[in-house]
Amino acid sequence: MGAITLEKVTKSFGDVDVIHPLDLRIEDGEFVVFVGPSGCGKSTLLRLIAGLEDTSSGRIVIDGADATDVPPAKRGLAMVFQSYALYPHMTVRKNIAFPMRMAGLDKAEQNRRIEAAAAALNLTDYLDRRPGQLSGGQRQRVAIGRAIVREPAAFLFDEPLSNLDAALRVGMRLEISELHTRLKTTMVYVTHDQVEAMTMADKIVVLSAGRIEQVGSPLDLYREPRNLFVAGFIGSPKMNLLTGAAAAERGATTIGIRPEHIAASPDTGPWRGIVGVSEHLGSDTFFHVRIEGRDEPITVRADGEVSLHHGDTIYLTPDENRIHRFGPDGLRLA
Amino acid sequence: MATKASRTAARAMMSPSVILLLGWMLIPLALTLYFSFLRYNLLMPGGNPFVGLENYEYFFTDPAFQTAVVNTLLLVGGVLVVTVVGGILLALLLDQAMWGQGIVRILVIAPFFVMPTVSALVWKNMFMNPVNGLFAYLAQSVGLEPFDFLAHAPLASIIGIVSWQWLPFATLILLTALQSLDSEQLEAAEMDGAGPFARFRFMVLPHMARAITVVILIETIFLLSIFAEILVTTNGGPGNASTNLTYLIYAQSLLQFDVGLGSAGGVFAIILANIVAIFLMRMIGRNLDA
Ligand SMILES: Nc1ncnc2c1ncn2[C@@H]1O[C@H](COP(=O)(O)OP(=O)(O)OP(=O)(O)O)[C@@H](O)[C@H]1O
Ligand SMILES: [Mg+2]
Repeated sequence: MGAITLEKVTKSFGDVDVIHPLDLRIEDGEFVVFVGPSGCGKSTLLRLIAGLEDTSSGRIVIDGADATDVPPAKRGLAMVFQSYALYPHMTVRKNIAFPMRMAGLDKAEQNRRIEAAAAALNLTDYLDRRPGQLSGGQRQRVAIGRAIVREPAAFLFDEPLSNLDAALRVGMRLEISELHTRLKTTMVYVTHDQVEAMTMADKIVVLSAGRIEQVGSPLDLYREPRNLFVAGFIGSPKMNLLTGAAAAERGATTIGIRPEHIAASPDTGPWRGIVGVSEHLGSDTFFHVRIEGRDEPITVRADGEVSLHHGDTIYLTPDENRIHRFGPDGLRLA
Repeated sequence: MATKASRTAARAMMSPSVILLLGWMLIPLALTLYFSFLRYNLLMPGGNPFVGLENYEYFFTDPAFQTAVVNTLLLVGGVLVVTVVGGILLALLLDQAMWGQGIVRILVIAPFFVMPTVSALVWKNMFMNPVNGLFAYLAQSVGLEPFDFLAHAPLASIIGIVSWQWLPFATLILLTALQSLDSEQLEAAEMDGAGPFARFRFMVLPHMARAITVVILIETIFLLSIFAEILVTTNGGPGNASTNLTYLIYAQSLLQFDVGLGSAGGVFAIILANIVAIFLMRMIGRNLDA
């Protein structure tokens, strides 16, 4: 069980408001990702849920019970920190056993859970080592192991992968996703990496400056960003945002079109431009195209085999059905 | 120090200081050892004949000897307990954010800057004196008989004075250790269900283990040779109730002018210090390994 509800929760440090009144519902078993630029309050929000910070106002309800003033240990949540926060003077086994020891579980049960967690996380060979003798990925797994054995109502992750190298990050991403399918426990996951958000989440919460910009499934956010911020934040490479005549023609202040929704052709199309930098990824190529009368280049995705070079002329055709239109207030127009 | 050339250079660079330090140590040590085998009394001029272990025999059978050894160990042990326990508590207190933190920290460190003789005199005359002392005044003001600390509890009083001097040192070192503890670790422990005492027991204390070891080792070195505080307060008395080894050696070589006997005592003090050192390293030395 692990449904978490935030009702009008705020947080200020001194007279700086870090979290503005915020409502959010996290269903039992959901994988929710908080994503947003650095300093937008993701960690603070997670720590409020964990109980490591007191709310300035508002209510936090966990499984139907008001948990606003419940101390962290009693909320039944487990947290995995960005720095892993392993106990350096304890072996891996003792690290994993620590929460159970604090809860006063009997030894046999402790060992059973340790063995199970170690087997699931490939840690069996390292149980008698200390954290200092492990690699970053192994430490991460120990931190997850320490969270699993508590059998918490929900897991909280604060940028757990940001200290790992790219290859390991992809691997751990899959492992955490698998863990979620297996345990079916609620997970709240903080990241500023939108690829992690898109690939792992059931529900993404986009935050900016302490406010929720949009909540929805990854595809909802991709298909129908509610405002310019979400439009620019979700998707890689970023959506092209155009103002001026192109927007006015379509009755909007700003229009957005994703690089993958623009067709490139060497001879026909409504927008004519010059190829600038091109990024060849093998499967795809991204061209940065300069269009007359515009400072910002437009990013266009083309097939990996298309061969166009710096300075070539290119014609672009946007997919009209996939143009996003935004009004003067930055909100999406129906 | 990876290459052979850099190792050789390093040795060449270090050798002057190593030789100087060795000379500094070895010459007095050798002379002490040499004197300890002579009958060498400044009141009896003339030859200083070689007498073998006679000085040692006299030193070990001196009625004050056993008391002095016990007092030395009590003094070291007592001060260590007070300063380490008190230092941990003070460090925990000073680590809390509070109003006037800067001033309080300076106040806590201040005793360390007071010379041992001065602080001992202040304690003796202004606090512990049974007639004029502050403690006597306090005792009288609540209708109690003033207690003559230095006469009735001389060793405990000296332990108190010395602890007061060394508490800042312990506090300072332990405070820096405490401040280097990763706060996420404490938060993780808090989420894992550890209350304040469990966090102290399982996180804070192991984290401070190395600093505590350093405090114990450094203090032991200095505490084995406490002298000034005894000289200005009790003169080793009453009787020899507060005589430690250092003071006994001083009494024998400088009050009785017996250089030979004093040297024998010095050699024993060195041996005792080494025994204590081996003991300590056995007990807590592994804390220093990374
Ligand atoms: N203890 C504190 N006192 C004062 N301000 C704080 C404190 N903790 C965080 N803040 C401020 O709150 C804001 C949000 O911080 P938070 O750590 O939640 O950001 P974040 O979204 O997790 O960023 P990042 O992606 O860089 O981790 C920041 O502007 C930060 O300066
Ligand atoms: Mg953060």
